[in-house]
Amino acid sequence: MSGVRHLYVHLPFCGSRCGYCAFVVETGSLAMRDAYADALVAELEREGERLGELETVYLGGGTPTLMRPRRLRRLLDAVRPRLAPGAEVSIEANPETVDRRALAELRAMGVTRLSVGVQSFQPHLLAALDRAATPDQARDVVGCARAAGFEDVSIDLIFGIPGQTPDDLEADLGEAVALAPDHVSWYELELKPGSALARRGLPALDEDEGADAYRRIVAGLEEAGYRWYETANFARPGRECRHSLAYWGAADYLGVGIGAVSTVAGRRWRNRPGLAAYVAALARQEAPPRTVEPLDEDDLRRERWMLGLRLAGGLDLAWAGPPDRPEALGRLSAAGLLESGEGGVALTREGRFVQNAILHELMEYA
Amino acid sequence: MIRVDQAHIRNFSIIAHIDHGKSTLADRILQATGAVSEREMRSQVLDSMDLERERGITIKAQAVRVHYTAADGETYQLNLIDTPGHVDFSYEVSRSLAACEGALLVVDASQGIEAQTLANAYLAIEGDLELIPVLNKIDLPAADPDLHGRAVADLVGEDPDRVLRISAKTGQGVDEVLEAIVERVPPPAGDPEAPARALIFDSVYDQYRGVVAFVRVVDGAFAQRDRLRAMQTGLVVEAEEIGVMSPAMTPTGRLGAGESGYLVTGLKSIGDLRVGDTLTVASRPAPEPLPGYREVKPMVFCGLFPVDADDYHGLRDALERLSLNDASLRWEPETSQALGFGFRCGFLGLLHMEIVRERLEREYDLELLATTPNVEYQVTDTAGVRRAVRSPAELPPPTSIELIEEPYVRCTILVPQEGVGAVMGLCQDRRGVFVTMEPIEQRQQIVYDLPLAEIVLDFYDQLKSRTRGYASLDYEIIGYRESPLVKLDVLLAGDTVDALSMIVHRDHAYARGKGLVERLHKTIPRQLFDVPVQAAIGGKILARETVKAKRKDVLAKCYGGDISRKRKLLERQKEGKKRMKQVGSVEVPQEAFLSVLRIGDDGRNGS
Repeated sequence: MSGVRHLYVHLPFCGSRCGYCAFVVETGSLAMRDAYADALVAELEREGERLGELETVYLGGGTPTLMRPRRLRRLLDAVRPRLAPGAEVSIEANPETVDRRALAELRAMGVTRLSVGVQSFQPHLLAALDRAATPDQARDVVGCARAAGFEDVSIDLIFGIPGQTPDDLEADLGEAVALAPDHVSWYELELKPGSALARRGLPALDEDEGADAYRRIVAGLEEAGYRWYETANFARPGRECRHSLAYWGAADYLGVGIGAVSTVAGRRWRNRPGLAAYVAALARQEAPPRTVEPLDEDDLRRERWMLGLRLAGGLDLAWAGPPDRPEALGRLSAAGLLESGEGGVALTREGRFVQNAILHELMEYA
Repeated sequence: MIRVDQAHIRNFSIIAHIDHGKSTLADRILQATGAVSEREMRSQVLDSMDLERERGITIKAQAVRVHYTAADGETYQLNLIDTPGHVDFSYEVSRSLAACEGALLVVDASQGIEAQTLANAYLAIEGDLELIPVLNKIDLPAADPDLHGRAVADLVGEDPDRVLRISAKTGQGVDEVLEAIVERVPPPAGDPEAPARALIFDSVYDQYRGVVAFVRVVDGAFAQRDRLRAMQTGLVVEAEEIGVMSPAMTPTGRLGAGESGYLVTGLKSIGDLRVGDTLTVASRPAPEPLPGYREVKPMVFCGLFPVDADDYHGLRDALERLSLNDASLRWEPETSQALGFGFRCGFLGLLHMEIVRERLEREYDLELLATTPNVEYQVTDTAGVRRAVRSPAELPPPTSIELIEEPYVRCTILVPQEGVGAVMGLCQDRRGVFVTMEPIEQRQQIVYDLPLAEIVLDFYDQLKSRTRGYASLDYEIIGYRESPLVKLDVLLAGDTVDALSMIVHRDHAYARGKGLVERLHKTIPRQLFDVPVQAAIGGKILARETVKAKRKDVLAKCYGGDISRKRKLLERQKEGKKRMKQVGSVEVPQEAFLSVLRIGDDGRNGS
């Protein structure tokens, strides 16, 4: 059966906006949650004929758990008939918004994978990021998830936080490993335009300090038995995030909810971020306001390279298409940054640390 | 058109140090004589180019005719011949002065005599002009007309009472200036019956009318349709139109002895009618040209390369068009391994270079890379053959060089007593040879002979900053002297970057090389590989730094909602890379090339 096999659902509500956040989030509109849940189900139905059996579903935010179990259940009830056997159903959660009971409810309604937004275990760094959770809440939530029956638990961490010392990083690394999650996502802090941190005008992290931190994280997690399977993601064998792998494999995906992006059969669109207009359009049984982005075959080919080289296993040339500058392959290979053979190209360990620069050697982004 | 006899003609110019108010006074004179109405009055009417207006300096000289009825009841024809205001154009200044019998020497009443006041005054005195000293800006609170008036009177050998005190800004004293021109400037002395002779003191290219020459008729007369002969170049051309600027072009059909005006020729290249040449009438030619002609030679050279190689033809077209109106701009194709195809260009001086470059970028929308400016060297090889070298790349290998000579200038610097040490220190650093020092007014006049190459880098900026702006500078070329010079090369990742080579004094090579390498090290971004940056003479490495390879360059996270944004980020990064030059395997940003220019005093010993 053909059709889109990956679904993203955006749940934008948050108690407050964190300093580093530039996502589409809604604070102070909690009264809209019922109407929003209705609208999501309506959008899903409108788009139903695009969907095949769903192999992965990802409930992201915002803070999805702020939807409360009642609304999440309504949403998952709408999704469930479309799930393939053994489908991965992930949800993001902040430590302070879930307890053991809530987690058990999520598990019971079919959520298989929990991604906990920890960011750091150090109080001063959590404060720098405006995070509401305490380190203890972060530590507890993994245990609670286990007790609630989650076999796939991931934690998100951030490095490059203003004020973060190498000792702070060691402490986070130690805590992360001690919690024994199945999966870790560890990002460098991006000072995105529009975020409060960017407006505070903090100095960018020194390139060497950032490189030291990144390399230490990779080494530390690998020692603890995690595989560095994607630029910023680590997993115990077999516990990779299948939904994310779909993105990096340039598979089609449908996104519903405000700000959500879909890419289906070479076409990409993004729902506009306005909550009221979204809810109103779907209440009228119309498509929500969207922006369509034209993509040509070159854009898609360059995206496949951008995405595929993020993966430890690299990409398949027959699938990705040729690089714009094939002559660079030999040079990069001779420099020990890239390996190619058997129709595939993958970055070496050293190459993965400078993936962006390698992309510019191989491709003409224009 | 009012006709006056020769006795009622006055040809004069205004000379001044920069910013002492020359253009403002010219504007006032045009207003006071009714040559332009209030409505037409723009500030600095005579400066027609935008760049001149922006920089507040005059580049092209022009002649404007006005009529003035003096206190004696007679009407006089006044020809105001404007002069360029910068040392780069001193030859044009001397030709403009040669077209006059008198000059207003304008001095700022708060600042007094400056270096260009002196230089211009000496030029005028040499040319036997009647000098009328004028103190301007007497309305300023800081004005000290008594003090500076005495000094100016001393300079020109006049009684202090005869120094006019005016404010061109408010118009105060402008009538007295006009009366003084009539009273003190002698009428032109040429012979109206002799074979015609006219001095070309300026020329411009007009895209509809061809070359327009601005002339001062000395003897005889020129009429429309006369066949003209340029006595130096031998070119013969018809006078398609003859007239005067008042201040718009006004045809008169004739220009007689003593008068100034313009000739329209229809010529396509300004090089055909050169400033300083003498025009005569072909049917009755004068036996001798007027004295003082010399060919203007460029003094400063640099390579200009388009950042985008596709702009090469655009750059050539733009240079061709600029050359139509700029006889002193020289250019020839040059190929650089590092920068590709471009042109080696010759300029009168640094200001001229900056103006040309700015016009190319602004008017022709070109993005350019300029190599370090250099002067013209004379190199004698071991076989005894002496030839000019205008680019470091042309320098033969050291073993076949017998000797190298470089142009020297005599620099006259005026500075308050407390700045003397700083000026002498700077001149010593720049290989200066002390000539004299003497007090002038409240200041010291310091004279040094310096290699021109040391002036063209950043001498003027350094002079200004070390004396907190109080020093003023003038210089003249005095000829070639032998110097121990070497070619300093820059290597990136082991390859010589021809565009970064420079010719330096042997004793400065180490400091210069070290500074150069440090600057490049700072401006070249980290790349995928280590990039050694070296400075070398011949094969000998003087200095080395390494731009370390990148250790981290990743896009932090990338999920379904981020893919477009990340791809666009890559596109923006790529756009940024376009402003870099690929030199061998190394990406070099424009700033790296520019940083070589700024190699100032941190690259030198003892300062």
